[in-house]
Amino acid sequence: MSRRITIAALLAGALLLAGCGSSEYEATPLPGATASPSPAPSSAPTAAPTCANELASYAPANEPEGAQLAKIRKQGRLIAGVSADTLLLGARNPVSNAIEGFDIDMLHMVADAIFGDPNKLELKVITSAQRIPALTDGTVDIVARNMTINCARWQQIAFSAEYYHSGQKLLVSSKSPETTLDQLSGKRVCAPNASTSLEKLKQFTKVVPVAADTHTGCLVMFQQGKVYAITGDDTVLAGLAAQDPYAKVTKAPAFTAEPYGLGMPKNDPNFVRFVNKVLEDAKADGRWKAAYDRWLAEALGPAPAPPRPVYGR
Amino acid sequence: MSVTRTAPAAPQPGPAPTPAPSTTAAPAPARQISASGVAGRAVAVVRSWLSGTPGRMRLALIASAAASVLFGIAAAQGFAEAGGALSRADANTAQLVRLQAIHTNLVRADAVATNAFLVGGLEPADQRQEYENALSEASRLITDAARSQPADNAALAELNTALVNYSGLVEQARANNRQGLPVGAQYLRDASSGLRLTALPLLENLVTANENRVTTEFDGIGRGYIWLSASGLVALVVIGGSMLWLARRTHRYINMPLAIGGVGILLATIVGSAALSNVGVAVDDIRKGPYASTLALAQARISAYDAKSNESLTLIARGSGAAFEKAWVAAAEQVDQRLDTAVALSDDAQPSRDAWSGYTNVHQEIRRLDNGGDWNSAVTLAIGTGEGSSNSQFDAFDRASSEVLDSSVQQTRSELADAGNTLPLWRWVCFAVGLLAALCAWWGVSQRLEEYR
Repeated sequence: MSRRITIAALLAGALLLAGCGSSEYEATPLPGATASPSPAPSSAPTAAPTCANELASYAPANEPEGAQLAKIRKQGRLIAGVSADTLLLGARNPVSNAIEGFDIDMLHMVADAIFGDPNKLELKVITSAQRIPALTDGTVDIVARNMTINCARWQQIAFSAEYYHSGQKLLVSSKSPETTLDQLSGKRVCAPNASTSLEKLKQFTKVVPVAADTHTGCLVMFQQGKVYAITGDDTVLAGLAAQDPYAKVTKAPAFTAEPYGLGMPKNDPNFVRFVNKVLEDAKADGRWKAAYDRWLAEALGPAPAPPRPVYGR
Repeated sequence: MSVTRTAPAAPQPGPAPTPAPSTTAAPAPARQISASGVAGRAVAVVRSWLSGTPGRMRLALIASAAASVLFGIAAAQGFAEAGGALSRADANTAQLVRLQAIHTNLVRADAVATNAFLVGGLEPADQRQEYENALSEASRLITDAARSQPADNAALAELNTALVNYSGLVEQARANNRQGLPVGAQYLRDASSGLRLTALPLLENLVTANENRVTTEFDGIGRGYIWLSASGLVALVVIGGSMLWLARRTHRYINMPLAIGGVGILLATIVGSAALSNVGVAVDDIRKGPYASTLALAQARISAYDAKSNESLTLIARGSGAAFEKAWVAAAEQVDQRLDTAVALSDDAQPSRDAWSGYTNVHQEIRRLDNGGDWNSAVTLAIGTGEGSSNSQFDAFDRASSEVLDSSVQQTRSELADAGNTLPLWRWVCFAVGLLAALCAWWGVSQRLEEYR
């Protein structure tokens, strides 16, 4: 009997020794699902504040230089908030690394008027949503980033006189038959955060609005098939269409008016007057038209008459 | 063999064997009788076999022998568990190192891609090559890692998807960039942020899971003790009890074979415990020494590459890169902490720390230039490869830290292997001791049983 036990024990021992120690681990957990671009929060469009004349800026006058201009002279350069990916208006040239475009040319003119050197200019790249905060916290002296003049923004910052008259249009795939937002019910349409384009887009309640940081972010989503169309100013859309042979700006007329102004801090109207003088001179002596011809003529047709400045604030 | 005190006690005759019940075949009802009859007979045989003093002796024999054999098996199992835990700790460490290498290669690829992008226009061929090398190394390691640890497979499959998405976006960024289209920059940003959003959390989970596995296995080495000491104790109690009972019953003080078996088990338990505790001490040293160094250095390298990416992204963002610079500062803090840990553990890490502070000096200079409005000079410093440039300083750190990381990985793994190399021997020794003790018990009690024949 004990011998049998011994043999059994031997066998058991041999089995144990042979098959020792294999541990099963729990599978490594996966992180939670990551969010895909979500529709912009569909807050009902709030009634925009209205004012008598949003286009009215401060008339150029021979006032003494204000604190703002003194500060800029002291720092030795004009610090401007711009876009680096809005082709034609303000975009980084990947070959030269320089940021260039119609908006940037306006800034060179202002820098030239202050310092006698168009290149005493530091460009800070900002998103649409950063335009007003960058001005109110003093990060930049001026913003030239296809910015629409409106009453709501006048409450926070000051604008120059209008330097370009744009309007909102629609960009779709070159094969799409649709031409207006009304035809896109149920489709996802992209516009940048904190832009007038997105506000306007939200008024088309049948369309699903999708927000990106910039218009270029919209183009990436458009190319990846995540959105069906992009809406924005004709100038911006022309720049996007130029980067994608399968995209087109529809022939439908602009459905908003987007008067562009240079944004400046609210506290020093004298700086605004100074900039308005620069714009007035540029429109008069042909530099404005030269800039238009260089950047926009090919995409948007021959130069219109420059927008007439409105003053009276 | 036994020491005789007095004459052996008179053998007591066992009870008379019960007469065998009739086994004549009968139809169905009788079959039950027959079955119960056989069982009854077996019970009777066992009872007779175990009854009286010889029966109790047989019981003592069986108990001692069984306890000895069980000791052998359990002790062997204890050593096998300790050895298994050690080798699994080693395998998990290897997996951990592999995952950290994947992580390093991904952030390195991203650092190179973003830096090359900053150059503008045609990217430098050698940077392109470095990016490709880092990515293909990462994807090779993902395959290796999936083969080595099935529990990681699901996460690694996700990681592979993230890698494919990332490299796809980078290629689109390059294609657009070569055509001078600004949308290229957006693709690169999306690639970078996608990598940080999907791949890096996956890697963090993988690394944490494997770190925990290593810790579990390190802790599991202690389970060997329980097997060894518990089974040793049980065997000694049983053998001791048998000896005590035999001494009383046979008037012999000591049953020598049983005593030898007991001493053998006692020695095996004590020396085996000492051996296990040596392994535990060695593993503890490894944990606090080269293993801790390995973790610290690997994490320092990962954070360093992350910082390098953020340096480029700050410049690419051109004036609105405050968030990236913040990320740089956070990553750099991590690097400093990890390197301090590594240096505290071993002086070998000192050159890495020196190289890292050389790089951070260049970074401060880049920030000074960029914040002062001289973006072009900042970029020149950031993308250059000459003496004193950001890239050359960072390369110095990369070389120094990868060298010391490699050696600490080697040290960890070879010390783990050394710590466990006596365990298989001990396993067999304890098993043999158990069997020999069982033989001794059989022999020792049989001697006494003989006296009843």
